[in-house]
Amino acid sequence: MKRTILAAFLALASLGAADGQWVLASSTLSYHVSHPLHQSEGVSHQAKGKGVCQAGQCNFLIAVPVKSFASGDTNRDLHMVQVTRGAQFPLVSVRVSLPEAALTMPAIHCDVEIEFAGQTAKYKDVALQAATKGNETRITGTIPATLSDFKIDPPSLLSIPVKNEMPVRLDMTWRPQ
Amino acid sequence: MLRIAAFVGLLATSLLAQTPAAGTLAGKVTDPAGAVVANATVTATNIDSGQTRTATSGADGSYQVPGLPPGSYRVKIEAAGFKPLEIASATIGSAQTVVDGKLEPGTSIPSLGDLGFTPDQTQGSAQDQARLDKRSHMLKTHQRLGLITTAPLVATLFLANGAAGHNSTSSSRDLHAILGGVTAGMYLTTASFAIFAPKIAGTPTRGPIRVHKALAWIHGPGMILTPILGSLALAQKDKGEKVHGIASAHGAVAGVTAAAYGAAMLSVMIKF
Repeated sequence: MKRTILAAFLALASLGAADGQWVLASSTLSYHVSHPLHQSEGVSHQAKGKGVCQAGQCNFLIAVPVKSFASGDTNRDLHMVQVTRGAQFPLVSVRVSLPEAALTMPAIHCDVEIEFAGQTAKYKDVALQAATKGNETRITGTIPATLSDFKIDPPSLLSIPVKNEMPVRLDMTWRPQ
Repeated sequence: MLRIAAFVGLLATSLLAQTPAAGTLAGKVTDPAGAVVANATVTATNIDSGQTRTATSGADGSYQVPGLPPGSYRVKIEAAGFKPLEIASATIGSAQTVVDGKLEPGTSIPSLGDLGFTPDQTQGSAQDQARLDKRSHMLKTHQRLGLITTAPLVATLFLANGAAGHNSTSSSRDLHAILGGVTAGMYLTTASFAIFAPKIAGTPTRGPIRVHKALAWIHGPGMILTPILGSLALAQKDKGEKVHGIASAHGAVAGVTAAAYGAAMLSVMIKF
């Protein structure tokens, strides 16, 4: 009887250890837009995030102020905030859901949800890469987002619009809390 | 006097009658068993303006978000240990609108409220967006007019030889002067759209736009000076005199102005 109680206790303790919260150690979120005259990339390092793993399922959420993206040209950045309605919807958030076991694999496929410009776009089976070093896990990858996913009218330079494709590059490093 | 007072009274009443009264969003948050859920975060986002208001459910599970302008709202209810619940659209009128939330248990899913952003960072502003929209619209017009201005500018430069030489005719000089005037007029209109576009506080100028703005200090004064010197030169020519004095700088000033204008356009076209 004592052994059974002990075994049950150990099993519960083990489950408890698997669950937990993750804090964001560092992150880079960037978008890429193409124009016949320009290729530009806006980068933000100002993400805040939280990860929660429970019952074998992990949810990672990061959010970035839209106006924190920098492309090296402040005029273009302000224009980006305008076309993406960044003053009305000031945050862009990325939510990654994946099985906890996937964190130990180098290549993972997961569901990603991006909330941006007042719209939510869901991407199924996105290929990301995970690498664990010490107690930190780095998740990287590119989400095949488009401007139309968020009902954004393509901005134009000299009356030529940018391409609809706007891949979003995700690079986030997490450590257990 | 009485009539004026009555008119002002009527005007005020009519204005008040036109201002829509604010409404209240209220409700109760429960779990599937009907037990109340305290400390749930309720976020109401105006679908048109993006403005958000939040409230927290009390010990009895009830919440209230007062003072909401009438309109359509997206309502999100989040609580630890439950799946977030989102109501895509709730119409708020001038009275109280009740939206109850029954939360399904689920794994803890992190929410934006967990991330520690300040209200300034999370709350949208329709006013700021309108300012950005106006700025963008004016700069687009600046860009288009700037491109169009290139045509009379190039034509004026092209006709400069015919207007300047010993064998120049009065008609060729007049044509050059008219085109120069059109260029200067269009240029000033183009520039006004950039000068009067709303400024966004706290935005430093970085990148190619710095070069674009710096070049305006050359072509701006140049576009004012060139027609003045041109009219002096034209008057001297019409008197049968050789262009002399300050007017003889017309060609050089026009050349530098046109070069600076071209470089300003290239600075926003070519990445460097």
